[in-house]
Order: sequence, then structure tokens, then C-alpha cells
Amino acid sequence: MDRMKDRLDALWVEYREATPDPEVGPNFMPQLWHKIEARRVETTSVFRRLAKICVMATVALALVMSAVLIPHNNNDEVFYSGTYVDALAAEHSNDYVDVLGAADLR
Amino acid sequence: MLVDFELIERARSGDDSAFNQVVQAYRKRILGTIARLIGRPEDVEDVGQEVFLRLYYSLDQLRTAEVFEPWLYRLTVNAAYDYLRRQRRRHESRMSDLSEQQVMMADAAAGGKRNVEEVRRTKIRETVDDLLGKISEEDRILLTLKEVEGLSLKELEKIYHVNENALKVRLFRARQRVLKAYEAKEPEVGG
Repeated sequence: MDRMKDRLDALWVEYREATPDPEVGPNFMPQLWHKIEARRVETTSVFRRLAKICVMATVALALVMSAVLIPHNNNDEVFYSGTYVDALAAEHSNDYVDVLGAADLR
Repeated sequence: MLVDFELIERARSGDDSAFNQVVQAYRKRILGTIARLIGRPEDVEDVGQEVFLRLYYSLDQLRTAEVFEPWLYRLTVNAAYDYLRRQRRRHESRMSDLSEQQVMMADAAAGGKRNVEEVRRTKIRETVDDLLGKISEEDRILLTLKEVEGLSLKELEKIYHVNENALKVRLFRARQRVLKAYEAKEPEVGG
């Protein structure tokens, strides 16, 4: 087991020697800057796309809300054409007369 | 440190020419580390560019210039790890997956006139790549950083953000696993 460990340790050293730091190609830096720029453009376009989506969602929401609420408002006008007291008086108009009639008998 | 703190501070504040100088100072060392971490020379520059790309867009998160090197190594480890995972998923037929005889035949077919020393180096690289291919990506990277790159436990602590004891345990287990793989391979190595 120890012999194997020693051989493995020696192998690591040999591997280090067998794989020296590679020479850097002449295109390394231009390609790197190209990738940096591409990422920057991509990020910007993502934000732009997000902003577009937000604007479109806002417009759509506004349209839906107006479509839903505007007819309701019209109905409300019809529904609330009289006050609560008027509606109550109309419902119990006979009772009112009876009460008055009873007063007259006295 | 291969560059002074002031240059890193300038790069951090958005100075592109300072960033250029930092990359030029570190690229050879980082490419060497990547070459030994991934074992595929043809992809080293791609992974190296990914490291520096991540560095460019994360420099503003660096707390101080003093922790720059562990930070750069961490980015290197992460990029190498991502690459190795992608490779494993692709199940590509690799030279290190082929038998030695197949490799020799491929070499002969390529008509390469390599000298004895180059053949010996290639065999060592293939042996180690084969061994490292038999353990997990995490173990591979940790062992390479410790045994091949020669990083100290203190340096590894800063890269992995774990304490020394946890690192020792992980290293011990990784060594055991690679030793087991080496023992299984020993008849081939000896023969």
C-alpha cells in the first residue's frame, strides 16, 4: 500500500513536469474582448427585452381593466339611479298610506 | 501576487486597460492550471477565456484586492468543473478512453514523429487523465490543485471557503479513491 502511495506521489510530480503551462495563442486577448462585448450586448438586449415586456404587459392590463370596468360603471349608474330612501319608499308605499289612514281615524 | 493591488483596484473600478494587464499577467498560469485540470489541450483557451470573462463581470464583487488570487482560482475551479460536467454529459469518445494500443495506432496514423521523451510524457498524461477520469469532478479538481498545482491547505481553504479539517477529510477520501483506481490499473502500468 505504501509502495503504491509512493508511486502515485511520483506520478503526480511526473504529471506536473509532463504538462507545462501552454503558450498563449495570439488570438487569446482579441477573442476574450469579443466575448466580453458579446456578453455586454446580450445583457443590454435582455434588459431591453424585459422593459418591452413590462410595457406590453402594462398596456394589456390597462386594456383588460378598461374592458372589464367601463361596462360595470355604466350598469352602476342605472342601478344607483335613485337613493336608498327612494327605493324604500317605493317598496313600502302602501304601509305609508295605512299609517296615515290610521291617524285619520283617530 | 503577479500584479500589484493598485492595478487590481483599477481593474475593479472599470479600467479596461488595467484589466488587460491583469489578464496578461495571469493567463499563462491559469491556462496551465486549466490544462492540468481538464486534460484536454484543445479546449484550454476556451475555458481560460470563460474564466477571465467571469472575472470581468464579477470583479466588482471582490471585497479587497488581497483576496484576488483565491478569487481567480475559485473562478478557474468553477469553470473547469462546469466544463468537466458538460463533457461527462456528452459521452464523447476521448483518446484517454481508448486502449493504449488504439492510441499508438492513432498516433502512427497521424504520422507524428515524436521522440522518446514526448512519448513518455504523453503516456504519463494519459495515465493520470485516465486515473482522474475514474473519480468525481470534485475529487479530480481538489487532487489536481493539491498534488499537481502544489497549493497549500491554507490556499485551498480560501478557494473552497471550508476549514482545514473538512479539507483534510475530503482530500483523504479523494486520495483513497484515486489510489484504489491506481491499484486496479497497476497491472497495466507495470506491464
